[in-house]
Amino acid sequence: MISHLYAHIPFCPKVCPYCSFYKEASDRNKTQAFLDAMLKESELHAGRLRPVTIFFGGGTPTALSTPQLQYLIGGLRQRIDFSAVEEFTIEMNPATVSLEKAAALRALGVNRVSMGVQSWDPGLLETLGRVHSAAQARRSYEILREAGFDNVNLDLMFGIPGQTLAQWRESLIQTIALQPDHISAYCLTYEEDTEYFVRMTRGEYRPDETLDAGLFEVTMELLGAAGFEQYEISNYARSGRECRHNLAYWLGSDYLGLGPSAFSTLQNERWKNVSDTSEFIRRIASGEGAADFREALDADTRKVEQIAFALRTNRGVPTSLLPTDKAAQLVAGGLLREESGRSYLTQRGKMLADAVAEDVI
Amino acid sequence: MSIARTRNFCIIAHIDHGKTTLSDRLLEFTGTIQKREAQEQLLDAMDLERERGITIKAHPIAMKYKAADGETYRLNLSDTPGHVDFSYEVSRSLAACEGALLIIDAAQGVEAQTVANVHLAEKQGLKLIPVINKIDLPNADIDTALKQLEDILAIPAEEAILASAKAGIGIEEILEAVVARIPFPSGKAESRLRALTFDSSFDTYRGVVIYTRVVDGTIKAGDPVKLMFTNRAYEVKEVGIFRPQLPKFLVQDQLQAGDIGYVIANIKSSVEVKVGDTLTNSRLPAESPLPGFQEVQPMVFSGIYPINTADFEGLKAAMGKLQLNDAAFHFMPESSVALGFGFRCGFLGLLHMEIILERLRREFDMDIIATYPSVIYEILKTNGALLKVDNPEQLPDMSVVEEIREPIVKCFIMIPNEYISPMMQLIMEKRGEVKHTESLDTKRVMLTTELPLNEILVDFVDKMKSLTRGYGSMDYEQAGYRAGPLVKLDMLVNGERVDAFSSIVHRDKAEARGRALATKLKEVIPTQLYQVAIQAAIGGKIVARESVSALRKNVIAKCYGGDITRKRKLLEKQKEGKKRMKAIGQVNIPQEAFIEVLKTN
Repeated sequence: MISHLYAHIPFCPKVCPYCSFYKEASDRNKTQAFLDAMLKESELHAGRLRPVTIFFGGGTPTALSTPQLQYLIGGLRQRIDFSAVEEFTIEMNPATVSLEKAAALRALGVNRVSMGVQSWDPGLLETLGRVHSAAQARRSYEILREAGFDNVNLDLMFGIPGQTLAQWRESLIQTIALQPDHISAYCLTYEEDTEYFVRMTRGEYRPDETLDAGLFEVTMELLGAAGFEQYEISNYARSGRECRHNLAYWLGSDYLGLGPSAFSTLQNERWKNVSDTSEFIRRIASGEGAADFREALDADTRKVEQIAFALRTNRGVPTSLLPTDKAAQLVAGGLLREESGRSYLTQRGKMLADAVAEDVI
Repeated sequence: MSIARTRNFCIIAHIDHGKTTLSDRLLEFTGTIQKREAQEQLLDAMDLERERGITIKAHPIAMKYKAADGETYRLNLSDTPGHVDFSYEVSRSLAACEGALLIIDAAQGVEAQTVANVHLAEKQGLKLIPVINKIDLPNADIDTALKQLEDILAIPAEEAILASAKAGIGIEEILEAVVARIPFPSGKAESRLRALTFDSSFDTYRGVVIYTRVVDGTIKAGDPVKLMFTNRAYEVKEVGIFRPQLPKFLVQDQLQAGDIGYVIANIKSSVEVKVGDTLTNSRLPAESPLPGFQEVQPMVFSGIYPINTADFEGLKAAMGKLQLNDAAFHFMPESSVALGFGFRCGFLGLLHMEIILERLRREFDMDIIATYPSVIYEILKTNGALLKVDNPEQLPDMSVVEEIREPIVKCFIMIPNEYISPMMQLIMEKRGEVKHTESLDTKRVMLTTELPLNEILVDFVDKMKSLTRGYGSMDYEQAGYRAGPLVKLDMLVNGERVDAFSSIVHRDKAEARGRALATKLKEVIPTQLYQVAIQAAIGGKIVARESVSALRKNVIAKCYGGDITRKRKLLEKQKEGKKRMKAIGQVNIPQEAFIEVLKTN
């Protein structure tokens, strides 16, 4: 049985210049066909699905209207056994939150919201090309609480072009003051195929590793002091509020992804659905598989992934999975910490997690 | 063809003085080939040679020429390698001939390489025919060229033929001079076989092809033969002569005294065929071999190591294949603390080394690193024993060393007058001594100098060229050993001595070189997980230090379901990239570092 279900809603009110996820601007006509295709796709897997966690990501899932969300989630409930669901997350953009929608989602069983605030600074929000204002984000957060969501994540971003250490510190302090249950703090990555990447190659944006390192340090320091546990490189939670869905990815569980561009991993196989909504709809309608990429995962590959990803979490990895000499070197070098047979990244190790992972895989 | 109507000759020329063009004209004039098609440099077969504009291998060609006297002659033209690294090979090619065309560019005059090769040819007793080439150039200065011929080379000016290979001027005159002035071969066909091996090539199907000059006797298919130095016996499968076009080998019934040609005898490895060895009939062997044989002694040594230890066998096979065609290249297994298992390799000179490294990388796709090149040092120990050392690692503890002697070369440098002072400065920097200064004409001088070989190994030629804006030329010959205050300079990475970076240097230069190396290594070693300390040490004393600070941040922020494959592949790719680096302790050193160290001075 697959315990983790992801659904990708590929629509956004506006496309952000740094985002590399598959999405397109909303299109009323296509939406209904998309919803039907996703429901039909879920039927194909219904027999082996009994989700404990569900995650609606995108894109912007709340770009869907309340009736559309009701249609989709209601439809999934009819097809899939929802009886075991414990965590049901939906991603929201602060500009697409209303009390009516929030209440409807609560009623549909959604019990966790992840909201992309990114920054509280108007100038930086503009740099990021976000459609919402800081005030709107604050208002949306209040709405979620009003609607009864007791498990809310706020996404923040650092390393934004032009962002100073002082600005970032201020953003963190403001966020902490709101008392969210969970904070994701990402360092901006210049992904290929984004406007940001182009601007970086043109020299308009210059990533500054030293500044980024400083920002990351402040993040760990402030959030730690505020009682958030850094349970993954970019994720901090109050006790009991870790995102179980994401932990499943990092700890190597199987998961099923619905919708265009969604990945699924099932035992020794991983596949990815076609990254084109129209094509996704067409394929599902015609009974073809939606996958356009597949890879076989042998035991070694899964082991490599397990090490690389679990190492990023506060669960660490069994030391026995690491090459002995490398592990000893990393411990001596202050990058790894060893405790009762498991190895964990130290604070410096977290800043260098990729280099450490590369060293031990 | 009667021996009296055979002429064996070669061409001596400086690069770009027109050797190839003249060869082409001779081949065309004698009807050996039709007018040259697209391929420009027929004689220079290897790409690498072509890129560098030099010939390494000699490819002889047989021509038939009907002379003015009405007789038809066979003219065997050998090509000579144009670089001093190959001077023994040149000397054997010359030994296969009775005469040589000495080409001098009318605009450029006599060059250093010409002087060195004329010396070699005179030692072999060759008849020289001077040819002043490119006389049709607007800047040709025939008078000066003729004067240099007399002053520098002591050859009477009236012997010179004025020519332009490009314009086809003087070609017949040259051929007539070959017939008239070069003596016919002196050997006797009825004597016992003695044939000089002056080169060889390797054919995958037929084994080694010996390039030979039959001095006495005859040789034909079916003859039992042996090489006198190695004392290995073979049966001749085929003999013949060379043609410029394919098929390159033209079968003959026999070769006889005076002929230049090839012998194929089922020889599996070119290591068995030593340039200069004498081929004789094993049933009726000659009493003594031909004079002048030497086993080629490499002058420059370097360790070549695979980046990945797993490539050791592959590297060995690749080197074996190279050696099939290049018996002057020596290699034997060695191991290094820092680099693992590899090979100690001997080369005729630095150019030869560069060619081999380049071929290993290009033709065999090997990821390799080479240690700093070394010459052979003589170590006189306090107990009176004399030790030869071609690897700084073999240097004994200095407490038992009485003195270290280094090889010296006599170096001829020709430069335009205005560059004398920077040239003198360069020679001083390189610990050289100018023995003799000679005006070549109103514009140029020749400096006869003595320099330690290890000083000119790496960048001397480049520096000389750049400070004379390309107008300088040089050549050198060995001139014995001299004791000097030499020390071993070590480089330490995180406290570990990297033997690949060790070198033997003059005491006065060691510190500066240590600092330069440390700075260079700091530049080329990428930041990594840990700080990297780089130190230079002489004896136990640290003379320079640098450090590469550790990476600060290297972590991708987002890793969700869809990122896992991409992320894993990225890690694997980076890991693969690291494999192209050499791990020394915890430090990954890129190949580039080993190359940069070679260039640092």
